[in-house]
Amino acid sequence: MSVVRIVSIPLLLLLGVLGPIYWAFPTGLPVARTSGIVFGWAGCGLLLSSLLLMLREARLANWLGGLERMYRWHHWAGMAAYVLLLAHPLLLAANALPNDRELAWQTLSPFSQGRPVWLGWLSLLTLMIGLATTFDRRISYGRWRWLHISLGIGVVLGLLHLLLLGIDEPVLPLLGLAILFLGWRILREDRGWAAHPYIVQHVNPVAQNMVEVSLRPLGDGLAVRPGQFILVAFLDGPAFRGCGEFHPFTVSGSAVKDEIRLGIKALGDCTRHLQSIEPGTMARVDGAFGGFLSEQDAVPQLWVAGGIGITPFLAFLRAGNLRQPTTLVYLYRSEADAAFVTELEQLATANPKLSLRAQATGDRLPDLNTLLPDRASLAGHDCYLCGPPAMVSGLRTALTRLGVKPSHIHLENFEFR
Amino acid sequence: MMRRLYLSSTVLFWLLVTVFWAGGLWLPPAAESVAVAADKPYSTTELAKHATAENCWMAIRGSVYDLSAFLPDHPSRPEIVLPWCGKEATEAYNTKTKGRPHSPYADELLVKYRIGKFAADKP
Repeated sequence: MSVVRIVSIPLLLLLGVLGPIYWAFPTGLPVARTSGIVFGWAGCGLLLSSLLLMLREARLANWLGGLERMYRWHHWAGMAAYVLLLAHPLLLAANALPNDRELAWQTLSPFSQGRPVWLGWLSLLTLMIGLATTFDRRISYGRWRWLHISLGIGVVLGLLHLLLLGIDEPVLPLLGLAILFLGWRILREDRGWAAHPYIVQHVNPVAQNMVEVSLRPLGDGLAVRPGQFILVAFLDGPAFRGCGEFHPFTVSGSAVKDEIRLGIKALGDCTRHLQSIEPGTMARVDGAFGGFLSEQDAVPQLWVAGGIGITPFLAFLRAGNLRQPTTLVYLYRSEADAAFVTELEQLATANPKLSLRAQATGDRLPDLNTLLPDRASLAGHDCYLCGPPAMVSGLRTALTRLGVKPSHIHLENFEFR
Repeated sequence: MMRRLYLSSTVLFWLLVTVFWAGGLWLPPAAESVAVAADKPYSTTELAKHATAENCWMAIRGSVYDLSAFLPDHPSRPEIVLPWCGKEATEAYNTKTKGRPHSPYADELLVKYRIGKFAADKP
């Protein structure tokens, strides 16, 4: 990853924090009150930056080093903002201590204050409740997404709190930006206004609980590279009723006439329903995102795929781009789950640079020491891993033990939460 | 990690809010801090002599307040408050933002800065 991409997000956050602090930095106030004000503005700047980092725009993601990276920073910026904003009212109240404890409580209490402070409290409580739901893994993705976006309301309430305090000069543009980012995300991305229309051309069952779907663009097709993923919302077909939610899918092939192929495994309610999808179903597609397998060095490769994690490697092999000697270890639960294995065997037979080890592992994580090449054979290899989080985590540990440096281990382990 | 940070910061926040509440409730200041001052009358001319940020008096609802010490603490921008130094500012105080008056909390805070009563007709 280029240096510009590496520093882009930290730089953005730094600007987001320092800008408002520079504007609002108070002079001649006691330390507690100064800190309270600075923490409030820093939290405000971080929240606004984290709203920008939740946008799913392919070009923006490219500048900022990828969607997964943006999401990771989005979470950290949001969390840091929350902690700073919790400290903000406490420090303002602490300003009255130790001489006047009653005044300290009155500064904090919403009951003895006017609307600006009520709104401040409301904003903080919205963030508090919104974040609590964010950490609840039991909530379905669709409901979770809306609860998470509702955190944006907390940001808007916080900015209104500032407006009611009579601070309108930088707050009005900031409020405009917050509404722009939220509207952009909800309308262009969640409602799919920016997505491209596609139609399902073919559906092939490739394993148990797994289909491969080919999508044909109805207008301009997206430029998709092997290893990238796209967001797809499947709508209605002749008899099929889609769930309409955008889900990420790694492409398993992209070739003829901008056609995109996706492997879809039944992992949740929507993807289970998608197993019965039929040709003629309309879809909206957004992307493409990610750069997995795109910046390979001219060194031997070890690819390890678990289950549906085979799709980025398959897309790469189908595109006929293999230049380096490559070992592909493909793990799946049982023979019934061995999607694409015949095609992979044919690809390995046709290409002497590719060596394939396909293996059913059962329900448990297999003994990685016997599966992976030994330390000597791994020297100088770049390793690419894609599969369930537990498997990827186990593989990372095993590869590090075998002497592979972290900079030579590349992951595709995308999660939207 | 993130979840742990959320839980610990939230718990600590409520703990400190409770401490502030208990502090205000059970341990009120020993002496009434309100300045019972002074029914000394101040005229418009006298008031007008204190019209700078460092020396700012205002007449509000018939009383005169020396707000010099409080001004840096006022949440609004200085441009909003400073023009009222040295003047009768009841109207401005009552119609703070979009015609709304200041909060009861502000009223209470104000009392601490009272230095006398406003005698508009005094020469």
